[in-house]
Amino acid sequence: MELELKPFGVSGLYVKASGRMDLDNAVEFGTKVKETIEDSEGIDELIIDFGEITFISSFGLKVILELHKEMSTHGSMKLRNVPEAILKSFKMVGFDKFLVIE
Amino acid sequence: MLKTIRANIILLIVLMLFVSLCGLGLFTYKYYRDETELTTKYYVALTELEAKKIDVEILRTEKNARDLALMGELYYKFEKDRNVAIETMREVFENYPKSLGGGIWFKPHLMFPNERLSCIYTFRNKNNQIVVDKAYETEEYNYLNQNWYKEIAPNITRDDNVEWSLPYYEKEGGGTRIITAGAGIFDQNKNIIGISTVDWAIDNVIKSLETLDNVPKGSFTLFANPKKDYIIATTDPYLNGKDLTGKSLKNIPWYSNNLKEIRYLPLYHNVIYVPFEKKLENDMELVVCIPMLELYKDVLKTVSLLASLMILICSLLGCLLYNGLKNHLLKPIDKLIYIANKISKGENDIEIKIEKPEEFAKLASTFDKMTKDIKTITKEREKINSELAIAKSIQMSSLPAIFPPFPDKEEFDIYASMVAAKEVGGDFYDFYFIDDNHFMFLIADVSGKGIPAALFMMTAKTIINNVSQTVQNPKILIQEINKKICSNNKHGLFITMFVGIIDVTSGKMYCINCGHNPPLIRRNGGNFEYLDIDSNYILGVIEDAEFSIYETQLNPGDVVYTYTDGVTEALNSNEEMFGEERLLYSVNSLKDKGIQDITKYVNSEVKTFSGDVPQSDDITMLIFKYNGVRSDNDNIMTFKDLASKENYQNFYPWIQTVCKKWGFSENTINAIEMCAEEIYANIEFYAYNGEAGEFEFAIKNNSDSVELKFTDSGKEYNPLEKPDPDITLPPEERPLGGLGIFMVKQMSDSISYHRIDDKNILMFTILKT
Repeated sequence: MELELKPFGVSGLYVKASGRMDLDNAVEFGTKVKETIEDSEGIDELIIDFGEITFISSFGLKVILELHKEMSTHGSMKLRNVPEAILKSFKMVGFDKFLVIE
Repeated sequence: MLKTIRANIILLIVLMLFVSLCGLGLFTYKYYRDETELTTKYYVALTELEAKKIDVEILRTEKNARDLALMGELYYKFEKDRNVAIETMREVFENYPKSLGGGIWFKPHLMFPNERLSCIYTFRNKNNQIVVDKAYETEEYNYLNQNWYKEIAPNITRDDNVEWSLPYYEKEGGGTRIITAGAGIFDQNKNIIGISTVDWAIDNVIKSLETLDNVPKGSFTLFANPKKDYIIATTDPYLNGKDLTGKSLKNIPWYSNNLKEIRYLPLYHNVIYVPFEKKLENDMELVVCIPMLELYKDVLKTVSLLASLMILICSLLGCLLYNGLKNHLLKPIDKLIYIANKISKGENDIEIKIEKPEEFAKLASTFDKMTKDIKTITKEREKINSELAIAKSIQMSSLPAIFPPFPDKEEFDIYASMVAAKEVGGDFYDFYFIDDNHFMFLIADVSGKGIPAALFMMTAKTIINNVSQTVQNPKILIQEINKKICSNNKHGLFITMFVGIIDVTSGKMYCINCGHNPPLIRRNGGNFEYLDIDSNYILGVIEDAEFSIYETQLNPGDVVYTYTDGVTEALNSNEEMFGEERLLYSVNSLKDKGIQDITKYVNSEVKTFSGDVPQSDDITMLIFKYNGVRSDNDNIMTFKDLASKENYQNFYPWIQTVCKKWGFSENTINAIEMCAEEIYANIEFYAYNGEAGEFEFAIKNNSDSVELKFTDSGKEYNPLEKPDPDITLPPEERPLGGLGIFMVKQMSDSISYHRIDDKNILMFTILKT
């Protein structure tokens, strides 16, 4: 999986991941994003671009939930360009009720 | 020495000409010196001659003065008769027809005590008669007060003295220029009682100096008395000679006291004058100044003519010399160079002929012979080359070249490629069934190059083929091959080889590496990796060598890539090798491509890398891909492996490949993958506690559903027992775990867990969408 992290605006972080978000790399993805948020203090807006994600497994979902919890304590998280199949997975586990999907 | 013969010759000629010019120059210089000396002598003589003429007049005038003085003495001693005296004076002047006049002058009251002035002056009138001029005897004239008297009388001390007055004009402001010579009149006691004078008209002298014959144009003269420092006359065109009569010599700018030697005066009105000087009898001096250029005009003319002639002759000589050398030495050399250049460019149909000089004719004929020899040798070499090309093509044709070689065998694909180097090389590959199920493939490289390597390769290839038809056990097979190659190897050649023997029904493969480059292997759609395999001995060296056999299991889709060092040791212009790293990168940059594409790509990569550096070794590759046995049940596929994070990399591509092959929809594949991953993770973490235990995955393709079955030998673990998470809870209250199995349940049409024979078996069905 390839990961692109870049800040935007005053205190935003834009994350673009591509490939699979699965057993193999979901944890690594989550750790990297969390570390970036911790390293750059005061991030209160996180945008994750799902445009290039081809597959998400339960491990990926777990990480998304984790990030959502993390961000809701001091800001917000938005998902962008979520493909149909992945949206279906979100719905299956009820994530669509709280995730902000653009 | 200079670089080229041409330059050396030119240098030599220039040196030669320089030396001859120097010689001629010396000669010219001597000529110039002699001639100028001669000219100088001539003008010295001329000046002396002119001086002599004046001297004659001076001496005559002086003698006249003394004769007159003697007459004066007689007049005083005996007669005191004026008329007798006048008559005697006339007689004296008869002897000196050139004298203008003269007189005797006595000191006051000496002749006649009551007469203060006593003198007689006679002169030559127009009729050449000597007459008395009484005007000089008057008190008005008072000869005692005249300049000439004062200048002469006090200076006379002895009877042989003659004193000269300064020059003066006869009449005030004009007339003849005169210098008066005076001698003493003495009594018996040698006391001076008066003087005699004779007037010397110098206008004639001056005239003759003004029109001096035989002197060059622009010359002029000076007539002076340096001792008493006065000028008598000068014809210096830059001065007024008339005004300077009787003036100091300081008025002559160029004059100096030591004009004795012949030398050049300092530049005077832009002309260098040469002064010729002669002292006269009465301390006077004659100087003739001649312009140097005029003086040596003829000499200089001759010298410059000589010099131009010399330079002309030298240049002509130089040209002739160079031309001669060029024609006889340089031209033949140039011709030979031209021909040699042509020959070196491959032209050898050239007639080489030089007729002269003899040395070059010989050289040319030798050259000609050499060229003809080269022609013959070239022809022979071409013949050998064409034979070598045939040998090469025979060698190439002995390698299997038709792909696929076994179109009816679906268990594997094989492809080989060999880009031969220019020279006949020793790479080869081969493959065949050694029994119904065992397929053997090999790639090898014979040491050395050329015909010996090629012949040895053919022998080795035949031996390997023969042995492998009779022996099945890989260990014995390779030992036998080595032994036979050793016994056929008298010239110390050797072979490196990689052999794979695979049971195409099971995928079990024996590999033997005999000192060859380690092959690359790609398992389950992952990346190629170098196979960590014992290198063993090379073949053909140690007869009783033992070889270790490497066993491995190939799964459907696995690829073995073998190659020779022509790939990894290809050089670029920096003498760098292509190397194993680059090879690994090249083969891995082509995922999901056919094996033929891999060889093409590697070949093009090596070519790009090498650039202009010519290929020095055969570039050979052989790729084997195992497809597995098509099961009777066409719709079931199984995957067996150890459950680990690394092996997961092979697992999901396998599922994707299978699903795509069966043409499942994206959604179905997504569901299968999601379920498979969840169960894989459960087996890895819970059944085996992360210790990589074996598992089997089977997938069955039904008409409207897909059945999945996981089997593992780990500890008992039923994921279905996990409670479902409450998906209606707000996010902050939701636990992180438990989502996976929940999703599997959601996506499966049915799901069941069994514990049979210490194995966990999880089966579920997914409906196709």
